[in-house]
Amino acid sequence: MNAEDWKKIQRMMSKRSLWMVHFCTGCGAVEMPPVMTSRYDMERFGMGPMATPRQADILLITGYLAVKTLKRVVRVYEQMQDPKYVIAFGSCTMNGGMYWDSYNTVKRVDKYIPVDLYIAGCMPRPEAIMDAFLKLMKMIEEGKADGWKRYKEHYEEYRRNQMRVFRRWDE
Amino acid sequence: MNTQVLLENLGIRCERLKVKGNTVPRYMCHVDSESIESIIEKLKSAGFKHFVALTCVDWIKDGEFELLYHLFSYESREDVFLSVRIPRDAPIMKTLRHLFPQIETYEREIHEMFGVEFEGNDRLGEFILEDWDDMPPMRKDFDTEEYAKRKYYSVPLVDEGDGK
Repeated sequence: MNAEDWKKIQRMMSKRSLWMVHFCTGCGAVEMPPVMTSRYDMERFGMGPMATPRQADILLITGYLAVKTLKRVVRVYEQMQDPKYVIAFGSCTMNGGMYWDSYNTVKRVDKYIPVDLYIAGCMPRPEAIMDAFLKLMKMIEEGKADGWKRYKEHYEEYRRNQMRVFRRWDE
Repeated sequence: MNTQVLLENLGIRCERLKVKGNTVPRYMCHVDSESIESIIEKLKSAGFKHFVALTCVDWIKDGEFELLYHLFSYESREDVFLSVRIPRDAPIMKTLRHLFPQIETYEREIHEMFGVEFEGNDRLGEFILEDWDDMPPMRKDFDTEEYAKRKYYSVPLVDEGDGK
């Protein structure tokens, strides 16, 4: 077996064992308890919630990001280990949603960190979230969820965009 | 003591606000920035022990900021609003955090959102906003749409070639 085949097997296995850290910034957090618990039960897909970013595979951003929150999201994202996937949730993360002219929310999340999957809606129902999880699993198996690779390749550009809204970055 | 009588004794110009569905009176008082400290002290000793909120209104046409100190009494269940007007071009007010410690937080917020300077409050730094680089955003002459376009919409998408 060559290396590519091993990677395929690895992806097939890892898509059934996903741990998710949910960064609950906006109102979308309210849709997560039914997804996680017995009503919709994401555990049947092999997914579980994780409290710490270093042990998680998925970063779920549930809603608008203020400049202040974006800085924390970038830190959380950079702490996660490869391979890592980002799902951005709700219309606020796509174009600002109802905060389109707000002075303090960043409008498109994928200008600052790579997003593998967007879920449309305000708010997306739990069914939409489950559908997104299944799509993400398919993308992982096919090797299309490659946001973490793109972040490495285009790190300077992402960093430049981040620093256009941050005034300082304290390490 | 009746609150109306108390306010009259203090020599405060006040009006009773009519609030629909609210039987307990609310008083709107206009005071100046020199006497507010002693008035709040007297009201506090007369039962107005709950400081509810401090808010700011930008009256841009009058060239003034209005600071509203909102007090509540658990004994008479009445609300008193103390309105102070300060000039918009030199918005300076003395801090009142020694009367109610929670005023400090409100002063920090108003300093950040309206640019009002509270003399004596040493914690007026960056508070809710982070990395802010423009005029205080709650001022009426701040154009939030223009700012959003200039700051966020102008950020380009990361060019990742053929979408790989």
